[in-house]
Amino acid sequence: MSEIINLILSQGVDVDTVYLILTLPFIATLIAAFRQLIGIKSFGIYTPLVLTFAFWAVGLKYGLTIFIIIFLTGTVVRYVLKNFRLLYMPRMALVLTVISLAILVLLTVGGYLQKTGLASVSILPILILITLIEKFISTQVEKGFRTAAFLSVETLAISIAGYYFIIWDVFRGLVLNHPEYILLLFAVNVFLGKWTGVRLSEYLRFREVIKNIDR
Amino acid sequence: MFTLIKNSKGILGMNARNFSYIRPNNFQGAIRLANNKLRSKEVLLKAEVPIPKVYGIIKNRLELEIFKWGDLPKTFVLKPNRGKGGEGIKVIFGQKKDLSWVSTQGKTITIKNLKDHIRDIFEGFYSFSGTSDIAFFEERIQLLKVLKPYSYEGIPDVRVIIYNKVPVMAMLRLPTRESGGKSNLHLGGVGLGVDIANGVTTNAIMRDQLIEKHPDTKLILSGIKIPNWKEILEIAIKCQEASGLGYIGVDVAIDSGRGPVVLEINAHAGLSIQIANLAPLKYRLQKISGLKVKNEARGIRIAQDLFGGEIEEEIEEISGKQVLGIIEAIKIKHKVKENEETNKDRKDKLNIEKQEDKPEEMELRAKIDTGADLSSIDKSLAKNLGYAEIIDEFDEAIKNIKIDTALTKEILDEQIKDKLEKWGDGIDTVIIKSSHGATFRLVIKMNITLSGVEIISKMSVTDRSNLEFPIIIGRKSLGKFLVDPSKKSKAIFGKEVNVTNNKNNLEK
Repeated sequence: MSEIINLILSQGVDVDTVYLILTLPFIATLIAAFRQLIGIKSFGIYTPLVLTFAFWAVGLKYGLTIFIIIFLTGTVVRYVLKNFRLLYMPRMALVLTVISLAILVLLTVGGYLQKTGLASVSILPILILITLIEKFISTQVEKGFRTAAFLSVETLAISIAGYYFIIWDVFRGLVLNHPEYILLLFAVNVFLGKWTGVRLSEYLRFREVIKNIDR
Repeated sequence: MFTLIKNSKGILGMNARNFSYIRPNNFQGAIRLANNKLRSKEVLLKAEVPIPKVYGIIKNRLELEIFKWGDLPKTFVLKPNRGKGGEGIKVIFGQKKDLSWVSTQGKTITIKNLKDHIRDIFEGFYSFSGTSDIAFFEERIQLLKVLKPYSYEGIPDVRVIIYNKVPVMAMLRLPTRESGGKSNLHLGGVGLGVDIANGVTTNAIMRDQLIEKHPDTKLILSGIKIPNWKEILEIAIKCQEASGLGYIGVDVAIDSGRGPVVLEINAHAGLSIQIANLAPLKYRLQKISGLKVKNEARGIRIAQDLFGGEIEEEIEEISGKQVLGIIEAIKIKHKVKENEETNKDRKDKLNIEKQEDKPEEMELRAKIDTGADLSSIDKSLAKNLGYAEIIDEFDEAIKNIKIDTALTKEILDEQIKDKLEKWGDGIDTVIIKSSHGATFRLVIKMNITLSGVEIISKMSVTDRSNLEFPIIIGRKSLGKFLVDPSKKSKAIFGKEVNVTNNKNNLEK
């Protein structure tokens, strides 16, 4: 392990804490690269980042289950409330209320079905997952269900990729043994920030145009 | 794969749009202006850009209570200032006698209904995240008759991208059932690429996929001529100058009474316009960056010259010659029946005028063949055109003559000398030599009309009955024309014929 890391650890900081803090810039850069090079959009950088760490905290299986329950409940409740013509804040509060109840039911049912892992997941990641729904719902309102659904799937894909990065032993070894690699991210992000090339998804989107260029 | 990457360099992607065009050209102040409908209206009005009139603005509850409803015209649109995606727009179609109105769906709208709606706008029902908003009344655009069959409920508009005072690319946006009568592409509206030179639509897209017909009205979408085209481009350029946006998307609708009016200006114009035009935006932007463009007329001229598709009209202007495609419709005249005419002349002059005033004409498709020297016509067609007697006599006369490559026209002509004399000026002969040997053919001078120009063409008569085209037009008849092999032959018997469609037939 790197000397710097050892120094930090010797002050009583937990190794997972150090690891996660050092991982965050890598995941953030990964999300930026997905956007700029591949064209996977996601909801900004915060949502996929938090989702990644929530998945890490509760495990991918339960994380995904909880996410899907939240997403479906939120969407259904939004559609029901549409007819009541409520203002934004109270409407969102209602959505969160119903989702909270749904999660409570999920945990209970999970315990009943002997899925003890589900009942014992820590509360903070669940709270984070619940509050993320605001982003999803407001996008549905603003850009329509279709776009919001696409963005949700893309966000989910990035978060799952991020999750596998975090649990990858090779990556963990790299970060803890050579934390100086974090400096590379400066160069990578400056490059991404000035990159004006065509994104991978745009090759697909504009394929008919590309076919028609004759020069 | 390599060419794919090379070709894609012309495409304007998100990264390049944001970094190379929006960032350096559109400053924050100008972007804020574009996002505020009422403020951008003020600026555009000052620049003498035609916009829908604003009949009134209601900013708060007090103004709502003292608003004079009687001052509103019979038809108008009620809009939230910062409404997103066209939500919260109420279209009022007509007025009743008792100060109530009728909506486009035929419902009665009272003052109370309007007040409720405006209160909703204040509360932020229609603006994103529920921030409070203000309401205004706007002139309703009257749908143009020519665009009516292509629109589902709403009003189509033309999106023009302007950069450096040059209209770079344009697209006609049509409302559909899926888009809810709105012309926004991301809602499912249809986008039609437009030839910037003449305002004629080319390709069509819906949700970024190429389509041919309108999803609701099933009409073919290419070839629609947008009226007031130059004016639309001029107005769009004015918007760029007035707004301070270097890279701008201007939405222009055409009112049946007032002509083009600007609906909206956009700082972040979408990229799908490239698919609708099947043309790369970045190449076009690169071509005009750095140019000094003096005025609107110059900007339009540059766009037409650089990005216009159909330049043939201009070539015709310069050279004075018509441009032909490979397949053209021609009119061919029947042989004048001299004897009959003189006979009838004696009988009844009036009658003759009625019958012989217009000589009989045939309309057919001909192949323009610059590889052939002489034009040629199918034997049975020539017979139908009144040359049956001559052709039969010619065939009879040369029946016993053995033709070989050593013979010349003079020797052969000598043998049928008396016949040639009898037939007169319009008839000649020719020897056609090919790898199969030589043939001796009759040549007839015929009056044909090609692309509106009447010419006298010498036609060799031969059997073309197993070929697609009964007539080919060779070099000697084409002196007055230019030939463009890529030109689609238009209006052949009222139908457009694509040259490639006939490829199989040509190969026969």
